[in-house]
Amino acid sequence: MIFVLFGVSVIVFYLARGFPSAFSPWAQYITFRMKPSQIDAIIKQHGFDKPLYIQYWYWLQDVFHGDWGFSNWANGLPTFEVFASRFPYTVELTIAATILVMAIGIPLGILSALKNNTAADHAARIIALTGYSTPVYWFAYILQLVFFYYFYMWGLPNLPSGGVITQGLAGTVPTVTGMPILDGLIAGNLRYTGDALWHVILPAFSLAFISLGYLARIVRASMLEVLRQDYIIMARSKGLSERTVVYRHALRNALIPALTLTGLFFAGLLGGAIITETVFSWPGVGSVSLRAVFQGDSNFLLLFSLVTAFIIVVSNLVVDVMYAFLDPRIKY
Amino acid sequence: MGDRSDRKDARQSETQARIAELKYGLYLMRQNPLVLGGSILVVFFIILSATATLIVSPEKTYTFDFSQSYCWSNPIISWGPQGAACPAGTNYILGTDGFGRDLLGMMILAIPLDITIAIVIVAAATAFGVSLGAIAGWVGGKFDEAVLRITDIFFAFPGLVLALVFAALFGRTIDTLTIAVLLVWWPTYVRLTRGQVLVEKEKTYVEALRAIGVSPVRILLVHVIPNSIYPILVNSTLDIGGVILTFSALMFLGFSPSPALPELGNLASDGIGHVFTAPWLIIFPGLTILLIAISFNLIGDGLRDVLDPRLRR
Repeated sequence: MIFVLFGVSVIVFYLARGFPSAFSPWAQYITFRMKPSQIDAIIKQHGFDKPLYIQYWYWLQDVFHGDWGFSNWANGLPTFEVFASRFPYTVELTIAATILVMAIGIPLGILSALKNNTAADHAARIIALTGYSTPVYWFAYILQLVFFYYFYMWGLPNLPSGGVITQGLAGTVPTVTGMPILDGLIAGNLRYTGDALWHVILPAFSLAFISLGYLARIVRASMLEVLRQDYIIMARSKGLSERTVVYRHALRNALIPALTLTGLFFAGLLGGAIITETVFSWPGVGSVSLRAVFQGDSNFLLLFSLVTAFIIVVSNLVVDVMYAFLDPRIKY
Repeated sequence: MGDRSDRKDARQSETQARIAELKYGLYLMRQNPLVLGGSILVVFFIILSATATLIVSPEKTYTFDFSQSYCWSNPIISWGPQGAACPAGTNYILGTDGFGRDLLGMMILAIPLDITIAIVIVAAATAFGVSLGAIAGWVGGKFDEAVLRITDIFFAFPGLVLALVFAALFGRTIDTLTIAVLLVWWPTYVRLTRGQVLVEKEKTYVEALRAIGVSPVRILLVHVIPNSIYPILVNSTLDIGGVILTFSALMFLGFSPSPALPELGNLASDGIGHVFTAPWLIIFPGLTILLIAISFNLIGDGLRDVLDPRLRR
């Protein structure tokens, strides 16, 4: 795991700092008011005048001291602070999307397996395939167009086209977790929570739509696998109703791979939120990382990719452990 | 004498079995209406991309005919160059883009580029992944370990970020963007091939081949790789759709070499600021991407069912 994080940081570091770009590598550390001598001091302090591998060493030392550098485009705030203030928004969006993925994907998969090779199965398959063939950005804009613009034109209750909270409500509850939905709940302000939920629907759905197909296909495959096993035949021959057989006996075992995959979905969605966040002007780390790419902010990109990589690696680990825990036949 | 004819018989019956298997597979695929639909769509898109320049004249489409293109009666004319966009109507079936060009013509011209790039990326990723994965699985040991750790790193990456950084650094050309997507795509194939080769390696026929003194290189190239290639091919088919999506997403996010380039993601990105006033700019190119991706995915999904006997029910 350490090795993976090390590798990710080396690749991003070399890509972001090792090649000539429109921005000098120290651009994030300086401001307009600095004198040339101060700039020189900064270049020396972070080792920008040295070869890349020594620069990396300097960066690593800074990081272990908790110094992730600065992000100039965010008014020169420390990168870590920028990241920490944006990250909860992304987590909120991702959790909402994961819930939607499970709530739609699992029933779809079960339906598809039970009605194997019928019209219902084909329909479920089409939904699943459409999900992972859809350009996210396009889908996001279509959702905006329909649920914000056309609903507004038709005088229906319309969903917001972007943002996390209505302008007037912003800042009315104290920031505790940074996630508007939770903050509203903690402050006991249900209007705030409701508004935040209202805002999260479209982005979460557009993010979830891509992944729910995968989950549905996996649930279908594992359900079909389980339904053919001897203990299901046994349960049926005992005279149990089909309902009991499916929901009490088959489903529990069929969901093991699906549940363990949810961890991976969460991690994948976290990284995949860049486009959705950009379209819905969601102030999370994804949309900001796109800005960081265009602004040549290697500090932010390093922090972003390291945190995402960390989450992906940890969820892989958790998945392995959960798998063994849920299915005692598996031993590592 | 008898030995030779036995061998010939065995070979013949093996070929016959393979043909029967193939026929059964094709039969199963024909049985599935979705696969059939996907295949028809793919053939349609491939024919369309081969004949795109014959159907639509590029010169005529790229030229801005001011007297024709501008929709002076269009109320959205007041907001800048995008005023050149006409809604769908009699003159233009799908309307015009922000430069007053026929959107349908631009989309037809864009399809060959998208499909070619997707196939190139997937082919390159497959070729590279299969060679590296096969060697890693076959050789094992330290080399295998090293390859695994490197793919681990790439798997832990938020894929799009790597492509974004790469594209931002090396300039906005089609070549760079192709490499950027390729960079994200190859590790899957390494893992997949390695896993397959590891399974095949332990089978008795490999042992038998070793016993009769066939060289390891020959076993790997002639026997093991062909035996493990099917799941990889299925994955390639499924990935063509994904690659088109990723590539067009990069274009959409602003890495297009030129706003005039006929590429579906690029055409869609023209409509970003005008979703509510000129929605056709984004609807139709996006829909085309969706159709191309879904047609390849339908085939891939069907292939997976056919090639995996456990799912043949």
